[in-house]
Amino acid sequence: MDVLMPQLGETVAEGTLSIWHKKVGEKVEANELLFEISTDKVEMEVPAPAGGVMKEILVKEGETVEVGAILAILDEGTDGSVGTTEPKPAPSLENNSQHLTHSPPAVSATAVTPNQDPKRRLSPVVRKLVAEHNLNPDNIGGSGRDGRITKSDVLALLQQKLSASTDQAFVSSTGSPSVDGKKVIAFNRIRRVTAEHMVRSKSTSPHVHQGVEVDFSRVDRVRSDKGVAWKAREGFSLNYLPFVARAVCDAIVEFPLVNAHVEENSLVVYDQVNLAIAVDLNFEGLVAPVIQNASSMTAVEIARSIAVLAARARANQLTPDDHLGATYTISNNGSFGTLFTTPIINQPQVAILSTDSITKRPVVVEHDGEDYLVIRPVGIMTQAFDHRAIDGAYSAAFLRKVKEIIETKNWEAALP
Amino acid sequence: MAKRTTKRRISKSTKPKKQAANKSKIQLNDDIGEKTRLRMWQLQLEVRHVEQRAHDLFFQNLIKGTSHLAIGQEAIASACAAVMRPDDYTFCTYRGHAHTLVRGASMEGVLGELMGRECGMLGGKGGSMHLTDVEKGAMGSYAIIGAHLPIAAGAAWKAQYLKTGQISFCFFGDGTTNIGAFHEALNFSVIWKLPVVFVCENNLYMEYTPIADVTAVEHPAADRAGAYGLESIIVDGNDADLVYRVARDAADKARAGDGPSLIEAKTYRHSGHSRADPATYRPEGELEKWLERDPLKIYRKRLIDFGVKEGKVVAIENAVLKAVDDATEFAKNSSTPSKDVLMTEVWADGGSSWRN
Amino acid sequence: MAELTYREAVADGIAQEMERDETVVFLGEDIAKAGGVFKATVGLYDKFGPDRVRDTPISEQAILGAAMGAAMTGLRPVAEIMFSDFLAVCWDIVANQIAKSRYMTDGQVSMPLVIRTANGGGARFGAQHSQSVENWSMMIPGLKVVAPSTPADVKGLLAAAIRDPDPVMFFEQKSLYPSKGDVPEGEHIEEIGVAKVVREGSDVTIVALAAMVPRALEAADRLYSEAGISAGVVDLRSLVPLDTKTIFEQVEKTSRLVTVEENPRLCGWGAEISSIVAEERFWDLDMPIIRITTPHIPLPSADELEDLALPSVERIFKTVRQGVD
Repeated sequence: MDVLMPQLGETVAEGTLSIWHKKVGEKVEANELLFEISTDKVEMEVPAPAGGVMKEILVKEGETVEVGAILAILDEGTDGSVGTTEPKPAPSLENNSQHLTHSPPAVSATAVTPNQDPKRRLSPVVRKLVAEHNLNPDNIGGSGRDGRITKSDVLALLQQKLSASTDQAFVSSTGSPSVDGKKVIAFNRIRRVTAEHMVRSKSTSPHVHQGVEVDFSRVDRVRSDKGVAWKAREGFSLNYLPFVARAVCDAIVEFPLVNAHVEENSLVVYDQVNLAIAVDLNFEGLVAPVIQNASSMTAVEIARSIAVLAARARANQLTPDDHLGATYTISNNGSFGTLFTTPIINQPQVAILSTDSITKRPVVVEHDGEDYLVIRPVGIMTQAFDHRAIDGAYSAAFLRKVKEIIETKNWEAALP
Repeated sequence: MAKRTTKRRISKSTKPKKQAANKSKIQLNDDIGEKTRLRMWQLQLEVRHVEQRAHDLFFQNLIKGTSHLAIGQEAIASACAAVMRPDDYTFCTYRGHAHTLVRGASMEGVLGELMGRECGMLGGKGGSMHLTDVEKGAMGSYAIIGAHLPIAAGAAWKAQYLKTGQISFCFFGDGTTNIGAFHEALNFSVIWKLPVVFVCENNLYMEYTPIADVTAVEHPAADRAGAYGLESIIVDGNDADLVYRVARDAADKARAGDGPSLIEAKTYRHSGHSRADPATYRPEGELEKWLERDPLKIYRKRLIDFGVKEGKVVAIENAVLKAVDDATEFAKNSSTPSKDVLMTEVWADGGSSWRN
Repeated sequence: MAELTYREAVADGIAQEMERDETVVFLGEDIAKAGGVFKATVGLYDKFGPDRVRDTPISEQAILGAAMGAAMTGLRPVAEIMFSDFLAVCWDIVANQIAKSRYMTDGQVSMPLVIRTANGGGARFGAQHSQSVENWSMMIPGLKVVAPSTPADVKGLLAAAIRDPDPVMFFEQKSLYPSKGDVPEGEHIEEIGVAKVVREGSDVTIVALAAMVPRALEAADRLYSEAGISAGVVDLRSLVPLDTKTIFEQVEKTSRLVTVEENPRLCGWGAEISSIVAEERFWDLDMPIIRITTPHIPLPSADELEDLALPSVERIFKTVRQGVD
């Protein structure tokens, strides 16, 4: 049978055969790694479509050929099977994944019909576990053949959740006594994950930080007018974050490039804003649950979403869904009175905004050509951006827009 | 090939040379004895009347399935039973009501089993073809032709090995002499010198076919005896006394450690092969001819000849009839088996489980 | 511990029980003076004499019929059927008489007998002398069915079979006769109806019987070293009674079941186990149940052909590796 250059993406017309893993005359098992290809978007490992013996190699390592070109010829069926194993489906090449993630998947070379889609085929034990633990299979990674979710995939996920909830509190263990003038506190799981992410983020993205001062007086007026009624109705206080969030979403409309991911020499820009809100869990770690499609929500809806997420985060009830798909992050550090923070980007996003304390400060305002000194609630917002994706001027312009929206938008109309 | 005839060929009549005038003189001539004779009379009556009753109950739809009646063949089982020790073993075929009864199995047990009742000797689980009463030495009725011949040899092996003096009697029909197991069992029993008596009841028909049409020799059992180094023994199977003598000699031989015997007893069955068989394959007049030689007819006369009062003869018959009536009533009133017994007695522990 | 061959363990097991119990007797073709065509009963005739160890003519129906008659009346006979293929010759006695008499007589008769027979292929004897027919016995209600894979189990299970009050079909795998193993000294008895987990594993459970057990173990070693797959192996040892408990425990752990059977495909013993697991442990399965069997053909005689037909280590290895993801 012919081994063909697989279809890798709608716009990809050719690929380079980078490595052969079998020589002519060598025995090949079905699904054994046969060769690797690279395109300008992705590197991929390709398994053998059937078992047999490598008869002829037509395309050498390093050669670039069109999609569909014959790369090699396989002599099938010399693996001595005597009819006790299931027959393999007839191989034809089809890309079964249009969505390229940042870790390139091994694309199966066998035809996949919709109702044979391995990702959708849940074995009895997987179905049982998913039902028992109320999981969403769409959010479970499949490490089985063709991306199938296996029992061990589910168990690994459950183990993660379990150790997250039973993990020893990190900070509180500082209460234990010192030995020889020091205490050794082992990193718990959240600490380890955070540490790994932070290092990776810094080494991946060249961080640039820019700050802008924002006058929150207009927002404050709305907060004082409607705050009490709000609290009584909603059960939580109306703080600055929903306004900032809404302003960010508005600004992104004009400056979409900050709402993106970097993927192998390209910027993937998203239409909607999935806003991650960094939440500190009482000094026990950071999580950043996501408000999906915050751009379509009103400030009120955003406020409610934030409250719900924060509550769930603190009660350790976040689900895997809550962590997926963020495109921009806001980190609210203001409660501790900091002036500004230089945050670390939440990979694979390209920007993150820190809001710090908002305090009453003397500000000069101009009125009828005269300068006056007034007292205004002012806070510094600092954005970190990935300099691979955007430049200082763009980021600064975005920040200026956010400031403008916060300071001048008709917030009274935005709230009931 | 000339037929082997020996002194074993018994003449048809054992009428006493003198009539009843001097009783004691007659009794000196009697090698069987009144006690045994009366027992044989009773046994033949029991078999006849139980079988007759089974026949009637079938027509009343109280007996289902299949039944193979031995009406007309009573003398053989009865005479052999009279020869046996209580701890001897018997094996018979699916036409085995007679052989089981004569060992002392209860009539209720027989009739109840035929009617599929709880009081049946097999609890309703075996049926007519498998009547067994181990306590009485009736080690089973076997529905696969020939199977029980080697099994009977095995029981004889036990007796030989443990030196108990027990013997096995094995009853089968003329058709059996053509199946493999017959030949294996005979050869085996001879070379191991097992204490087993093989009794072939030749009723002239292998199921629906005349035995002569399917057998290479005239006497299906007796003419095969020589092939195994055994004496050819033929006896009138309708005369209990004649059978008794032959059976006794064979039993003595076996008990003495001199090995097996093969007896061919000529007889005739009055009904069909099974209750479903109207036996239209019989030539005209054959049945009538044999009815003249009905074993009970013969033996009633025999007893009178030997000086037993008619009154006593009749009294025994009446007692048997009553016993059959009582047993019938008892069995009719017995309930059908409880569903609890369905899954029992596959294994020695009483259960039937194949897994944990 | 003593090291015995599988065939020595047969004689050992019978001897142990014959010493213990006067009613144990032994009959079969060429088993006495010749010590058996497979030399599995050498020494018994000399030790126990012609009354207890008896040669028979070539009369399988007589052999088993006699065993049944003796067992019904108080002896504990061990009967040999030389090749398990010959069970077909006397199948009436096995299936219709021995298996059913107790039930039909509502418990009046007991049959504490053992029918031992040389089973299976690999010796190039051709189709009529190489069959594995333990599945024939499994299907008949009223028979216990045992098939050991090691000398220790031969001795222990044969002893247990002889002591068992019910009829036991004892299948010795002829290809295993020369294999060696440690056997405990002194009286040794195993339990019928209990399977043995001979290798622990976490990724897949392989259930095997008799000659397939050592092959499964070898395949499991390769699976681990070459594919990182941790395969557990269960030596079933008895088909009836069946140790479903052990099978379930292993399947709950690994969620994957493979059977390795020497029977031809249709109605091999693995079909029953697959059916039971599919029905009662469906929600534990992470992979379709796979049966590795001989194909549904009579066995050929030539070396290469017979080896192709019987499940080989290579075929077990590849099939399991392909199935586990």
